[in-house]
Amino acid sequence: MSHAVMQLITAFIGSLGFAILFRVRKEFLLVASLGGLFSWGIYLGAIAAGQSIFMSCLLASAFSAFYAELLARLLKAPGVLFFIPSVIPLVPGSNLYYTMHAVAVKDWPTAKLNAVLTLEYALAIALGLSVMWALLSMIRKLRHLD
Amino acid sequence: MSEMETEKLGREQLVHVLLNMAEEMLLHGAEIYRVEDTISRMGKAAGAAQMNVFVITSSIVLTVAFADQEIVTETRRITDSASNDFTCLEKLNRISRQFCSVPVTPEELQKQIDAAIQPPASDLMMYIGSILAAGGFAVFFGGNIGDGVAAGLLGVLIGWLQKKIRWVFPNTVSFNIVCAFVVGCLIGILTKLIPWLHFGMIMIGDIMLLIPGVATTVSIRDVLVGDTISGTLRLIECLLLAVALAYGFVMAIMLTGGAG
Repeated sequence: MSHAVMQLITAFIGSLGFAILFRVRKEFLLVASLGGLFSWGIYLGAIAAGQSIFMSCLLASAFSAFYAELLARLLKAPGVLFFIPSVIPLVPGSNLYYTMHAVAVKDWPTAKLNAVLTLEYALAIALGLSVMWALLSMIRKLRHLD
Repeated sequence: MSEMETEKLGREQLVHVLLNMAEEMLLHGAEIYRVEDTISRMGKAAGAAQMNVFVITSSIVLTVAFADQEIVTETRRITDSASNDFTCLEKLNRISRQFCSVPVTPEELQKQIDAAIQPPASDLMMYIGSILAAGGFAVFFGGNIGDGVAAGLLGVLIGWLQKKIRWVFPNTVSFNIVCAFVVGCLIGILTKLIPWLHFGMIMIGDIMLLIPGVATTVSIRDVLVGDTISGTLRLIECLLLAVALAYGFVMAIMLTGGAG
């Protein structure tokens, strides 16, 4: 099985795990966890298209925010319930580990590189989310003007 | 009691129950702006002329002004830290929607809130969630199936520690250090016994359970959308937790000499 397919499947399983942990209702579990698969798919697609890690992560996070808002509208539930499982695969757990491991073996250049990457991911997720959030709220206001 | 006094009492009770609602929303994972917005709407539905809701992660201030110039205010100190419980959050959300279309008495609202925040009857789903989350991400980040199974089983241990042992510790930071250290040591021993398991991959899966990844993102978002105080408070809390986690794991790595 190719690496990408394996990642998409496990992104789904991991997101499902978190959706269960955070007690997303049974009826919503599938759509909430699919968000994790989709957002990781967008990340991989953007990387394949030559985008930077930062930009790819930002796009995937913006997608998650859009997906969550869309489902919130359709299913009449708070958006955060769909956003969190969708965005989970973007959380840089591995970079945090590599940072820690490098600190433990006193490999400072690797530690620094991974610490910066960890922060980069976190910032990209937050920016993507905020940009989408601002856009959607602007669209909503403009539509109410009619 | 005069009619005016009865009315005042009712208003104070309303403010009190609205504060309970705000607190429960916050503690079950609602965003800051969502809490402020919801409580404002509910207050207005119940007849307030003006609603002033100020929510930060550690405190809520609610001041309600009524049309006859009377002003009622109450403050709530929040000491618990928020966790995500979307079943409760969704129920609270539904209560607020209903309240906004047909307001009920404060007593009735309180009853609805109490019914909504019932904890789950069994911990089984939490353990299943921990297994899938830790196991899934151990494989996601490059581990083999064995690494996934090991991370999932240790995920159960983490869930159990969080559920049963967490309360002994004075705060989450100290708990995270110990939890990370214990889990890290177990991973070290396990990978020594079974050489084809990968120390790093198992640990990454279990880190995903403990790392405040979403909370960090949410805190940066809070800062970016203007809830600066809450965002900053939460961001610092998250950084501390991440450092505590790293500290526990680094000690475990040094002790067991786990590599790659």
